[in-house]
Amino acid sequence: MTLMSSSKTPSPPASTLNFSVVLSALVAARVALTLTGLPDVLRDDHQLASPLTSFSQLQEGIYLFNHGVDPYSGGTFRHSPLFLTLFATILPNSPRICSLLWTLCDGLGAWALVQIWRARQNVTSSERDGLIAAVYLFNPYIFLPTLALSTSSLENTLMLILLMFAARGKASPALLGLAFLVHFSLSSIVLLSPILLLLNTDQFSHLASPRPLATSIRKVVPLLGEFVVYFCLLALSSTLVSGGFAWIPQTWGATLMLPDLTPNPGLWWYFFTEIFDHFRPFFLMVFTVHLLIYIVPVCIKFQHDALYATFILLGIVGAFKAYPTLSDPGLFLSMISLFPEIYPYLRHPIVTSLLHLHAFLLLPLFHHLWLNQGTGNANFFYASTLVFACANGAAIIDCLWAGLRIAIGKPVEGYSIVQE
Amino acid sequence: MLANFKISLFFICNLCLLVLANSSEQFDEELSIKSLQDGKVASKFSFKTLLKGASPKDPRTLGTDDESQHYTLFPLGLGQILREYGVTELHLTLNAGNWNYGRWGYPEEKGVGPGAELWVWMGDGAPNSIDHRWKGLRNALAGLFCASLGSLDEQCTTSPVRSFSPEGVLPDWDLPHQIRHASLPSEHVCTENLTPFLKLLPCKSLSGIASLLNPHRLFDADWHGMGIHVLWRGKEGIEVRLTFQSIMDPSRSSSKQKQDWSLQSLFDRAIDRTCPIAHSSLISVSLPSSGAHSITPEPSRVDSGSAIFDVATVPKPFNAAMNWPSDFEYQYDTSLTPLKIQRTLKGSSQARGQLSLVIANHGQVSQQVVYLETMPWLVQFYLHTLKTSVNGAESDAVISNITYIPAIPHSRPTTFEAVLLLPARSTTRLTMDVTKAFLRYTEHPPDAQRGWDLPPAVFTPIHGGQSQNATAGLPSERIYTPALLVDLATPDFSMPYNVIIFSCSLMAFLFGSIFNLLTRRFVVVHVGSGKQE
Amino acid sequence: MSSMDSHSPPQDAQNAPKQPSTALRDPSKLFYQSDGVHRSIIASYWAVILLAVPLWWYTTSIERLSLPQSRVYSQAENHLRLPVRICLVAGDQQLAGQLQDSIQQHVAKASERWNGLKIDVLQQGQCNSNDGSYSVIPSDKGITLEARQLSYPLADGSSVSKLVDTLSALIVPYSAASEQEHRVAQYSPRYRLSFSLLNEDAAAGKAIIGWDVEQAINRYIHPILSRLSTLHNFTIESQVQFHAPLAFTPQELDVAYALTSEDLTVFVNSAEWTLSSSASNDPVLHFVLFIPSSDRRPLKIANADGSLSASGAFLLPQWGGIVIHNPTPQDVPSDTDLPPTDLDQVFSVFSNQLLALLGVPHLPVGVQRGVSEREALITDWQLDALLRRRALENAEGAQDTLRSIVKLVDQIENMPVGEDVKGDVQDALAALDKMYASSRTSLEQAFRYSAQALTLASRAFFNPGMLALLYFPTEHRVAVYTPLFASALVPLFVAVLKEFFAWRRQRKLLLANS
Repeated sequence: MTLMSSSKTPSPPASTLNFSVVLSALVAARVALTLTGLPDVLRDDHQLASPLTSFSQLQEGIYLFNHGVDPYSGGTFRHSPLFLTLFATILPNSPRICSLLWTLCDGLGAWALVQIWRARQNVTSSERDGLIAAVYLFNPYIFLPTLALSTSSLENTLMLILLMFAARGKASPALLGLAFLVHFSLSSIVLLSPILLLLNTDQFSHLASPRPLATSIRKVVPLLGEFVVYFCLLALSSTLVSGGFAWIPQTWGATLMLPDLTPNPGLWWYFFTEIFDHFRPFFLMVFTVHLLIYIVPVCIKFQHDALYATFILLGIVGAFKAYPTLSDPGLFLSMISLFPEIYPYLRHPIVTSLLHLHAFLLLPLFHHLWLNQGTGNANFFYASTLVFACANGAAIIDCLWAGLRIAIGKPVEGYSIVQE
Repeated sequence: MLANFKISLFFICNLCLLVLANSSEQFDEELSIKSLQDGKVASKFSFKTLLKGASPKDPRTLGTDDESQHYTLFPLGLGQILREYGVTELHLTLNAGNWNYGRWGYPEEKGVGPGAELWVWMGDGAPNSIDHRWKGLRNALAGLFCASLGSLDEQCTTSPVRSFSPEGVLPDWDLPHQIRHASLPSEHVCTENLTPFLKLLPCKSLSGIASLLNPHRLFDADWHGMGIHVLWRGKEGIEVRLTFQSIMDPSRSSSKQKQDWSLQSLFDRAIDRTCPIAHSSLISVSLPSSGAHSITPEPSRVDSGSAIFDVATVPKPFNAAMNWPSDFEYQYDTSLTPLKIQRTLKGSSQARGQLSLVIANHGQVSQQVVYLETMPWLVQFYLHTLKTSVNGAESDAVISNITYIPAIPHSRPTTFEAVLLLPARSTTRLTMDVTKAFLRYTEHPPDAQRGWDLPPAVFTPIHGGQSQNATAGLPSERIYTPALLVDLATPDFSMPYNVIIFSCSLMAFLFGSIFNLLTRRFVVVHVGSGKQE
Repeated sequence: MSSMDSHSPPQDAQNAPKQPSTALRDPSKLFYQSDGVHRSIIASYWAVILLAVPLWWYTTSIERLSLPQSRVYSQAENHLRLPVRICLVAGDQQLAGQLQDSIQQHVAKASERWNGLKIDVLQQGQCNSNDGSYSVIPSDKGITLEARQLSYPLADGSSVSKLVDTLSALIVPYSAASEQEHRVAQYSPRYRLSFSLLNEDAAAGKAIIGWDVEQAINRYIHPILSRLSTLHNFTIESQVQFHAPLAFTPQELDVAYALTSEDLTVFVNSAEWTLSSSASNDPVLHFVLFIPSSDRRPLKIANADGSLSASGAFLLPQWGGIVIHNPTPQDVPSDTDLPPTDLDQVFSVFSNQLLALLGVPHLPVGVQRGVSEREALITDWQLDALLRRRALENAEGAQDTLRSIVKLVDQIENMPVGEDVKGDVQDALAALDKMYASSRTSLEQAFRYSAQALTLASRAFFNPGMLALLYFPTEHRVAVYTPLFASALVPLFVAVLKEFFAWRRQRKLLLANS
């Protein structure tokens, strides 16, 4: 939202500052944020960290792992075995150092976002670089989960890096990154086909001048094969590391079966708290299939601009996935900064921004009233998640509309573009 | 003549058999009464039936037809259940209230945990799995005692080997023995549980000491609890011990501040008749070590500080009484046990909290105890946040030998067993963060806002540890903490359809909008009012 | 956008480029507006939905295996006919014919009683002693039974009708009208026999505090049980209780305390006596030896006319037997065990009660046991009659139960039918088939299969899994599905229809143009 308003203002005076200096300053400011008392307050907040991404759960798993208890034998550790071994061996796991690590990862993500922007514009640097980095680093949906040490922040960084490789046409690193991402968060499988598409086309903006896909679909097959190989290797190494297959139902199974009904800003948890047991498997299936149903239509519609298709699907995953945190829609919102060409065509940006603002204020408030204060009940928080879902949906619809509408050209007085 | 001889021989043989049959079971009853330092009166009924020479059923023979069961004194209903499920050792207690160790000392029967507690040792190797038999046993006992033991399901079943070691002998079958333990702190004990309990006694509550078991008085006590203990005493045979303990307050019924009591005043009954088949029937009253007091009638004998009455010989109706000439004065600050344990669940949030344990060791010697938590999956431990301190200084040496079995949602509870070393004259603190689970709306009980009872923690002192030189004053018992109540977040129970409609409509709306955007064609329409050509 | 007045799009599209002030591109020229893209998008939506349909079916279906309905109904039409062959030894042709006719008449008169039996009278030559046929031998020494042989004084024609009476009393000793029929416990493959010695109040003194029950059971009960082992298995247990108060006060007479017939109906005080336990589901037959309290002796049963009955025993139909035993004062100085003579008495009563409860028929009056049968408690004739009765009952019961299951499953659409129910029903049908097949050759086999069929059929009927989903009627399903599907699927259908009509229009245009 910051972005939308700023994009309309005349571009800032040509900055003589080097982008790296700007990025360093922004990261330094973020590091300063971690030194406040915020991280301790935010840790384990349900909106910032889901059971699948919570840092406390990760620490518990590491503790059990180090003390010879299989963390997957119990029911609450749902992190990937790769995270487990990384943090149990190489990476530090004291919260203070991790805060720094997480913030640096965010910085890396911001840098990758800027690289994507540069690749898309085919420039080596631009005036918008600093702005884009700032939009990422100071998006509250991004930095709050980072302060809470949610591993979803790391997933975002991974997403941006793999997109950067994809945008530069480097297939292998991009596919490896995607394999990692899907391994960490199964819902990201939705992004596989637009990224394959992106690797087969170019990263430049063709929104304004759409043209049908020129390349043959056959080129995708070796890339897909490569992805499958990476993915299987990761699964295999996870199995070896954790000494069994118990991690699969605990991590991927959780995404599909929703065993943990801890509140989050998504749509699933309250629905499956309240649903009749008899219909539970059916609706789990419906919610999962619902996520998959968008892949092909979006890829067909945006075959001329695969990066945009990825962006739209990212928004859909963020809005409808099983265990979302604020950082999932946050990534989508920050990525809007990559597509300044669509801003004039957004359908109702004000409404969307207000909805997001509304949800952003309501979510923590009602969560607090319900669980801590005890003066509200579950419906309060549920209602605010509905508002949040509306806001996410409105943002997706806006971007969809604008991405298609831009091809018809600038609005002309007396004429209006509608859908029949 | 010969025929006559044959007949008499036959009779003699029969008589021999009869004598044998009778001596193969033995029933002893005992009541011990003790005045406590806080003026209350502790009483313990104990009814012991020994099935001589019997041994527990070998689990390998469970699939086949059982031999006939003939009992004279042993309760048939219980015997059938024990054989049906191949139980070697069984302990069931149903208690109401929290035992106050500081004021009342250690109870004579260890099992004083609040609510229902059941633990059994069973041999493996039967055609049915141990868990299957455990389930059947729970349901059978629930039927026998009219208690909701059926809800002692997998969600509260643990196997804490160190804290609940067998009290009898385990047969040497070359089979592994396993323990199953479950407790249900929310179970309320009342008359409907006492009636089946009394039916297991050979003399019911109609004669002998058992006739004092008057539900009106017992369930009015400050604390009361019943227990059924079955164990194998090796060659001696199988022992069934039924116990009833209570803590009563005599000053409540008397107008004066006195701790005088009599059987009549405590139980509103006197013993009119002897139980004819009791091998022994004794009432023992512990005599205060100091102060003027009188006991009536004259006891049959006095033995190491206790006056003992033999109910079989005393004149009936029998009503023992104890009187003090002076009023009772309450004494403060004299804990009868060296350990004082406080366990709380802190935090007002319905999402997380902190389990805190404060153990004060007043004793002169350091003490090792096994600490056991069996926590339902509703409350999940963050073991990495476990912090221990002694007298305010952080110390990791306090806790050792941790056994941890994490919970599985909807099925298995957490088992946390560790050895704590409590230095002499110190206060040890232990804290651990916990998260609280969010349940489906069907999983909540009807009174969901009341919260969930969490089972007590159990402390079992270890002997022969570092403090071998000190023997006096060491507890030789199991210590139960009071149960906890945890407040879980509740969904709105009237909402299922609303949520289905709201969530589904929103999803359908977004789905439809995106679908329309993707499939409908753009057209240019002319909206200018006056600018048309 | 619906409120806007829209011109026809092609017009606009044609107009648009002509306008100099307009930079609008013609939307219809955009590739993503093409029919192909549209149709593939709609198709891809539908493809995912169609792929999810099997999942839908998988996640919501109730396991409802089909039961062999027609087999059950056709099986229910069958009726078991057990052959009974009577072989007249050393009789002439005429006598055999006479016997056959007489039996036919008898059967016609009481057809219900003979239901399910097929009587054949055979000549001496046709007899085969090994196939379970009964032989009737004329003799002059009175009516005597030996194994499956009846010696009967057949002096003249008039004795034939008496012979038929005797035969019918031996072969079909049961009649539906008889009061004794209600006493017989329902068939079960396993019974628990529970022997209880109840002292009304042992503390009152002179109680019986023990008995040598094992020995008595060995002597009196085990022979019966082993003889009946083809029919039932038994588990035995015994207990002694010392306080078993009555729920009422017996009437005090001059010489005794009396129980009226009303008292007997409430004699068992189930609230205070713990007679049965919950350890297993087998039916229990109780045998209670009741010792009245010493200050209520003697306790006697009063007859309807007010006189006191000599026997202290009575039978509670299908429940068990009770014996009231008053120890004589000189017998019992103080608490003691039950003297062996009394024990024998009591257990011989118990054994008779057991026979009655299990439905073992009495021998008709006047029929004597032969030498070899003196020792046996139950003759072959009695055992056969019991087997036939139980087999017929079981077969009918199994068929009825199977029919009920099929009907119930038919009526209640949401009732799950699992693999185990289906398996049980199939096995029960198979057992019934085997029963019919073996009914001609071996009564024992036929009975075994009938018992098996009944057990399997009742197990299927009482399967707890069948009750799981009775709470989700169709209306409920509709209410749950509608919010999502009504609103999500309507646009999908509309889009398909629109595309279809557009395609038809185009084709017509093309045809018209060509």
